[in-house]
Amino acid sequence: MKNYDKLLNDLAPTKFGKLGVIWTSSLIVIIIIGIIAYIDQLIKGQVVTNMRDYALWGIYISNFVFFVATSFVGSVVVAILRLTKNSWRTPLVRIAEIITFAAIAMAGITIMIDMARPDRLLNLFIYARLQSPITWDVIIIPTFLAISFLLLYFPLLPDLAILKSHFKEKQPTLSKWYGILSLNWTGSAAQKAIQSKSIHIIVLMILPVGLILQTIDAWLFSTTYRIGWDSTNFAPYFISGAFVAGVGALITVIYVVRRAKKLEDYITDFHFDKMGKLLVLACLVYLYFNINEYLIPLFTAKKGEMTHLDTLFSGHYAPLFWFVTIGGLIVPIIVLLSKKGRKPFPMFIIGLIVVVASWWKRYVIVTPTLLHPFLPIQGVPESWHHYFPSLHEWLITSATLAMALLIITVLVRFVPVIPIERTADEQEELKSNKNIES
Amino acid sequence: MRNQLNMRYFFLVLLSVFLVTSSFAQKVKKEKVRLKAQYVKIMDGEVYFDIKAAAKVNRQNVDVTDIDLTIYNEFNDEKVKLGKATTNKKGEAKFALKSLAELTPDSTNTYNVIISFKGNDTFKKASKTINFKNADINAKLVTIDSVNYITATLVNKATDSAIVNQLLKVQVQRLFKPLRIGKEFNMTDEDGTIIAEVKEGIPGLDGNLAIEVVLNDSELFGTVKAIVNAPVGTPIVDESTFDQRTMWSPRNKTPLFLLIFPNILIFGIWGLIIYLITNLIKIKKS
Repeated sequence: MKNYDKLLNDLAPTKFGKLGVIWTSSLIVIIIIGIIAYIDQLIKGQVVTNMRDYALWGIYISNFVFFVATSFVGSVVVAILRLTKNSWRTPLVRIAEIITFAAIAMAGITIMIDMARPDRLLNLFIYARLQSPITWDVIIIPTFLAISFLLLYFPLLPDLAILKSHFKEKQPTLSKWYGILSLNWTGSAAQKAIQSKSIHIIVLMILPVGLILQTIDAWLFSTTYRIGWDSTNFAPYFISGAFVAGVGALITVIYVVRRAKKLEDYITDFHFDKMGKLLVLACLVYLYFNINEYLIPLFTAKKGEMTHLDTLFSGHYAPLFWFVTIGGLIVPIIVLLSKKGRKPFPMFIIGLIVVVASWWKRYVIVTPTLLHPFLPIQGVPESWHHYFPSLHEWLITSATLAMALLIITVLVRFVPVIPIERTADEQEELKSNKNIES
Repeated sequence: MRNQLNMRYFFLVLLSVFLVTSSFAQKVKKEKVRLKAQYVKIMDGEVYFDIKAAAKVNRQNVDVTDIDLTIYNEFNDEKVKLGKATTNKKGEAKFALKSLAELTPDSTNTYNVIISFKGNDTFKKASKTINFKNADINAKLVTIDSVNYITATLVNKATDSAIVNQLLKVQVQRLFKPLRIGKEFNMTDEDGTIIAEVKEGIPGLDGNLAIEVVLNDSELFGTVKAIVNAPVGTPIVDESTFDQRTMWSPRNKTPLFLLIFPNILIFGIWGLIIYLITNLIKIKKS
């Protein structure tokens, strides 16, 4: 029997302090306000939003795309690093799995918020046409949600069993819940074999399914034949964008969790250095696809494309466009290329900027295109020529973001953010290797 | 006593004034209905009357809908009821006869038809009389020096004589509006005949063209129309993908590759998910 005392002391879930309570309460308040706004939207209809005939996709869809992109972190960090046998991933994977689950769950909810008649949700399945990318999206999101849940749950089983024993005397009710969720895990050879095989299957699955998810998300746009979306480059553009958003979110959450739970011994500068390099790689790939996405239309200079690009480069959306391009891509590359830039705090700031820029990037992808239809906008009220989210849209969207953070917060509160058993195994392995060497 | 009597008179007068003004107020001013009617005869086909009812309400022309019209045939001081028609939402009604033989002409071989509206709460009674003589158009397709023509002769049936100097339209039936062919003005000659060239290349289903020769709204003869089915058009090649499995078809015509590959993926992935869930059950039981 291994001795988990030190690890449990450091990693076992503990009650929130004052800051944790304030944080959680604030999230709950934002969610409640968002729910009230959503109920009002349900009663009055989508007239409470600023979406109209032209800007028929607004902040809800860009928020949805952001969530889908962020959920890619599970495929990138967990699957790729596991398949490439990068052992430094251990303290990071659980948080990546939690972000993946929270993001994809909220993506599903966000798309329902965008539906004017959510009571007709079932019709999307009953009357599904497989020719429609919307149908593919409706199928892939629950699929990815199920895989994300399994990716989080299977590796958790041994830790839940450890926590069951740990809290047996201190908190019996909590211990009971850990017992139920641990599925009678004893760590027997048979259980370990099934678990190991299952995790391997999930990791192999989540990579192609994650790629399919991002691809379908891109095809939702590129199959519509619209300026700014009509691009064969769009799927890899979205995949690389998701790579950036996911890793950026992971770095940000890791920094906060590390500080809040005092995990400096487990999540070290070395991990931030590695994550920094991963983010640089992601940003460079994304920058490449961005150049493809904007340079070729600029070169061919079709009239419609030029109107669209002018709006982005020097028009109404220029401040946002240059913020997401420079702030969300070029600055991270420059900062993270230096070793000092890959220290935890600069990484946190960069991660935060990347996440915010990733969110606005989706807004810049969705909205300007809709306001540049092939035929000029005419015969409609002046306000329909522009789009900026209404108060309802902001409140509801803020609530979805708060909900994602609340899911992460609750899981961080009750689940060991660093796998206890795996860390113990690795420490034991390290010790035995040292003994052999000496 | 005298004062009481005066008061009674006063109230009686007041009541009378009130009742009289109320009865006047209840009388709504009725509007005048304008009836228009056109006699149409299709050669070897139906004979009917196109009727339109309209009124000017608040200086605006409005269609008079849902009113009953009675149609009579008048001849030699006799008036025979033919039937009834009701106007639709556009204020239009169509009254069809099996053939012109249902009508009796007067001594001058003129048919007199009266369309009558007996009035209602909103509209005053109205009637419209139309008079016409029976004319035939005998049209056929002829080929002269490999060029196709439509020839048509306009005949007064009462006198069995040609009707000269009348404008006949020659046109091909199309979905939205007929396609005029031939000269701009085809006036009947001394034989009551016109001739119009049917140019090559006019598209038609299986190459068939329905060519109409029309005497339009003549004062004497109404509208007479002859239809010639001419197999001289260019066959329309049906490019419809209605029966094919395409990306734009309804769900029951989904392309096979889209049914096969996505379903293999969906069932494959969900099969694995179910297998993983059973593994959770196995872990719990082992």
